[in-house]
Amino acid sequence: MKLRAYEDLNLQELDVMREIGSIGTSHAATSLSKMLQKEIRISIPQVSILGYDQAVDQIGDVESLASATLVKMSGDVEGLMLFLFNLDFANTVLERVIGEAYNGFEEMDQLAYSALTEIGNIIICSYINAFSQLVNVDIDLSVPSATVNMLGAILTVPIAEYGYDTDKLMYCNADFVMEGKQLSAWLLMLPDIPSLNNILEKLGVS
Amino acid sequence: MEKELKVGIGDMKLSRGEGRIITYALGSCIGITFYDPAIRLGALLHIMLPARFNDKDPNVFKYADTGIQETLRKLSAFGMMKSRTVIKIAGGAKMFEISGNSDFGNIGQRNAASVKKILQQAGFRIMAEDTGGSHARTMYIDLANGDVVVRSFGRPERHL
Repeated sequence: MKLRAYEDLNLQELDVMREIGSIGTSHAATSLSKMLQKEIRISIPQVSILGYDQAVDQIGDVESLASATLVKMSGDVEGLMLFLFNLDFANTVLERVIGEAYNGFEEMDQLAYSALTEIGNIIICSYINAFSQLVNVDIDLSVPSATVNMLGAILTVPIAEYGYDTDKLMYCNADFVMEGKQLSAWLLMLPDIPSLNNILEKLGVS
Repeated sequence: MEKELKVGIGDMKLSRGEGRIITYALGSCIGITFYDPAIRLGALLHIMLPARFNDKDPNVFKYADTGIQETLRKLSAFGMMKSRTVIKIAGGAKMFEISGNSDFGNIGQRNAASVKKILQQAGFRIMAEDTGGSHARTMYIDLANGDVVVRSFGRPERHL
């Protein structure tokens, strides 16, 4: 049966998406760990399909600042990939990479911003690499684009992009644990609905 | 504590007299305030997309065309006079810039253009606006005097 919306996914299909998310996230964590030369553990990823308001509630305060890197997918899978993280995550990474921490996103300079964009890019690419090998699809990625903005507004980007098809977001959330410190980051892999059907078909679950 | 009504995404609230109506984190979305000072009637509409293509979609406030139409209909029912109505808009930012793909993410610009066109066709004038850029905005209207405030991080509050 062809899906018409994210919320049409049944339990088995959700399990498949969670498994994919889990593999993708582990690859992302491995790259991050190599880059920072630190051991990084991840919690078991969760896959959630939520409306905008619920998604914002889960992730944090709507007006709080968050940083995000966005990449557009094209080729066999069309859609968006968004990597979203808070100041805690940004600081832990920046301390290792450029040796500085900041009190807020407002204080960051160009160097810090481009370091964060690059980290987001590496995480997204390793996720997509793992994903495309697993599913056996070719995915082209655009140049990454980063922003620091209100969390609520960042999440409206995919909502507006797919606003004509669905009101829901599908995202995979994992906690990265580094030196006993829990760092939250959210990976939103948002294939459009035809691509989602294509993925499930390739994996033989639809 | 003053009465505060919160408007979600693709949503509209209206009220009279006192308190404020607020909408948080407008990105590419547009917030539109309507205010009739004589009867202190105000509304705040938060639209997400320029036009409705699927007639069966019941969520009229999600789209600029059906959202504005429905808001105006409701306000008229509460006694709003067109000649007195003050309209202000904010939002329509471009959140991400993808090089080599200028089409992506210009939804904010399209929203702003659509909102302006629809209001003009309906015979309304926009008294003030704060649109474009790349920063998110929170917008509220004070129902006692019609004051509209826009705030963003790292910038002073702006009274429209």
